[in-house]
Amino acid sequence: MEQPIISIKDLTYRYRGQKRNAIEHISLDVMPSEFIAIMGASEAGKSTLAASINGLVPHFFRGKFSGEVQVCGKSTHASRVAEMAEVTGMVFQDFEAQLFSTNVELEVAFGLENFNVPREEITRRVDEALRFVGLENLKRRSPATLSGGQKQKLAIASVLAMYPKVLVMDEPTTDLDPISKAGVFEIANHLRQRDDLTLLVVEHETEEVLEAQKILLLDEGKLICYAPAHEVLRNVELLEQHGVMPLGVTKYFHQMGVDSDIPLTVNDGIRCFKEKQWRFSDSTYLSLQQQDRAREQHYGAPLIRCENLQFAYPNGTRALKGIDLEIRRGEIVAIVGQNGSGKTTLVKHFNGLLMPTDGQIWVDGRTTREQGVFELGHKVGYVFQNPDHQIFSNTVYDEVAFTLRLRKVDEKTIRQAVTEALDAVGLAGYENADPFSLTKSGRQRVAVASVLAAKPEILILDEPTTGLDYNEQRSMMNLVRRLNENGSTIIFVTHHMWVVAEYAHRVYVMKDGQIYLQGTTREVFSHDQELVDAYLRPPMHVTFANRLGKTLLTVDELVACTETNSQE
Amino acid sequence: MDSEIYLDRDTFFHRLDPRTKIIILLVTFVIVLYYQNPLWVLPISALVVLQGILADSLINLRRIRYIMLVLAVSGLILWNLFASGETKLFWIFTVESLAYSLGRVLIMLTLITAGMIFMSTTRNEEFVIGMIRLGLPYRVGFAISTALRLVPTIVSSVFIIAQAQRSRGLDLDSGNILERIKKYLPLLVPVFVSTIRNTNIFGMALEAKGFGAREQRTFYLDIKMQRADYWMLGLMLVMFIITTYLKIRGFGDIPGLIRF
Repeated sequence: MEQPIISIKDLTYRYRGQKRNAIEHISLDVMPSEFIAIMGASEAGKSTLAASINGLVPHFFRGKFSGEVQVCGKSTHASRVAEMAEVTGMVFQDFEAQLFSTNVELEVAFGLENFNVPREEITRRVDEALRFVGLENLKRRSPATLSGGQKQKLAIASVLAMYPKVLVMDEPTTDLDPISKAGVFEIANHLRQRDDLTLLVVEHETEEVLEAQKILLLDEGKLICYAPAHEVLRNVELLEQHGVMPLGVTKYFHQMGVDSDIPLTVNDGIRCFKEKQWRFSDSTYLSLQQQDRAREQHYGAPLIRCENLQFAYPNGTRALKGIDLEIRRGEIVAIVGQNGSGKTTLVKHFNGLLMPTDGQIWVDGRTTREQGVFELGHKVGYVFQNPDHQIFSNTVYDEVAFTLRLRKVDEKTIRQAVTEALDAVGLAGYENADPFSLTKSGRQRVAVASVLAAKPEILILDEPTTGLDYNEQRSMMNLVRRLNENGSTIIFVTHHMWVVAEYAHRVYVMKDGQIYLQGTTREVFSHDQELVDAYLRPPMHVTFANRLGKTLLTVDELVACTETNSQE
Repeated sequence: MDSEIYLDRDTFFHRLDPRTKIIILLVTFVIVLYYQNPLWVLPISALVVLQGILADSLINLRRIRYIMLVLAVSGLILWNLFASGETKLFWIFTVESLAYSLGRVLIMLTLITAGMIFMSTTRNEEFVIGMIRLGLPYRVGFAISTALRLVPTIVSSVFIIAQAQRSRGLDLDSGNILERIKKYLPLLVPVFVSTIRNTNIFGMALEAKGFGAREQRTFYLDIKMQRADYWMLGLMLVMFIITTYLKIRGFGDIPGLIRF
């Protein structure tokens, strides 16, 4: 019988200073060349489990370790991390912090240098690894000048060159656009088939793990299930119960009452749909389109208007090449596009952080140059991507009150505004908590509240759902929707296409500093092919509906539109 | 924002062996400090600027032009506090002390420029291997290069954090000095937090790539002394001897200067 390549026995680990175990009594075996997806809600212990496979747990972190982890017969507890590096390669989420060389070639060579591999062999393996990930023409480039997707491929190449037996990737694609995501997974999968590499990937997004053989589902440190991927993905209730987003197509068929052989992919879905002789109702679809139009009638006056907006960074990079857009009061607008397409640069013009190098931008009727960042701050609130880039206070209350105190508002008004803002984000009662002790999603909420307290008319959110799990993403976006219903105009930048499909009214698709596609969410998502050209991809259930002739944005819309035979 | 200092060019200075570049830098640092008289410092400064032009690296000075300006202006005034002379002008200023300040400022700017040229022409890895070949242990060399590597990362996170706090209404440019210092708190805390976090990931990535796994380590980057290197070293030696000789003979001082 074949020996498992990774064998974990009764593994329990608790970080120093934490009240509960990060992972608890985990026992499992992984066979050579398997592809395992590790899934679960935030704080489920996914990263801890991943880090235990190359010995970062227990050697790098401080905490209490019990149990046994063996990789290729080597005990991680008895070996140093550097020794484990020969068998276990690790790729991290943060692609900036894990690259440390000044050119691509040296980055790949670094690991091999540490293992005293002869120079000729390093040259050969560097070329091989770079060719494998498709970066062979960028050997001399500095990693800092690569796109997000390229950086992550470089990180993979630098690990691959060491010929590991096991490759562990901890949320390798969280910060990437959909097509770059797919590219990373394609490489990983190709690798497994070629080299018998065993692959463990921590992943939030269910669509990315379709290729996995097994899914390892964790919740609060406990192993919920470890079973073939297709079984787990069909179990919609189990996934939702543990904070993992089910596949759109699968969820649709599940809600329609199909319970055996639920389709997982678009093609299977279409086949099943046709077999059952279901149809999408024209009249329901028409009324959906009418609702879209009715919503459009409802918007107020234009708040932000750009005319031929251009921006070049001091080093000469032209980030925006002529943007025309108009955003009206009461809209929820999504701005999407590939990494580096200029999304963030564009929205930084909306609150005056950046000023155009050419062209014009008006906010509330006056140019941003006239108003400046501080005056614009009264109208436009900007929530940055990483809440840790703005939180500094000792208590949540002080953090949220920061802007109002700067504006010398009296303390009574501040108290009321802070209470309202914390209520809105669901953090009432946390006034005296230390913001740094909250989870990522909690800190994100503090950041939103601190912007809300100043009561801006326009709210800009840069990647509000990145790094959050499914339930947290939903509650963040439900909050955004509530704010919109109470009168705020919302602009958000995101890579999460399902978030766009469900929550945005209108979408601007950016590509190379220009607007490539725009319209209502339904219009934009009907252009499957153009989206792919812009390195984007609609969620699977939208593609599914598109292929059947109607652009339906949510599973609920799909269900509402479906006519089964019995209804006729 | 692009925060890397190294410029990927192919100039004579870029092609030199890192050891040669380190020695050029060291010699520059030593001989520029020999003289007090700005007229004596000037030729050395001019040579450094010439080096910068040949290495196509002066563009990097633009990034720190405000810092250099502030240093120059404040230096021109403050150095007068540390010296005086016979020819009184007004308040703390004398002709001698002014010449002295001018010399000091020139030295300071020359040092910064020389350092900038070095960093613009030498990759981090070349610097490390250069130092190792000059006898430094690998781990020490790596630690130095990591520290250098961290600077651009911190600079770019300061940049983002400043933007985040500005959009929350933090105005760093107003108020008196005490108020301003207090205002930097919203910047410092997030900078520390994100730097610690980044260093942590950096450490993990380093270990995960087998840092220190073996006693022996390959150096992929191969450096070799070429003919140009020997010419350059010869030139530096000649300059060192001449300037040292002149210094010993007592040239380059400011007559009548009293230092405190």
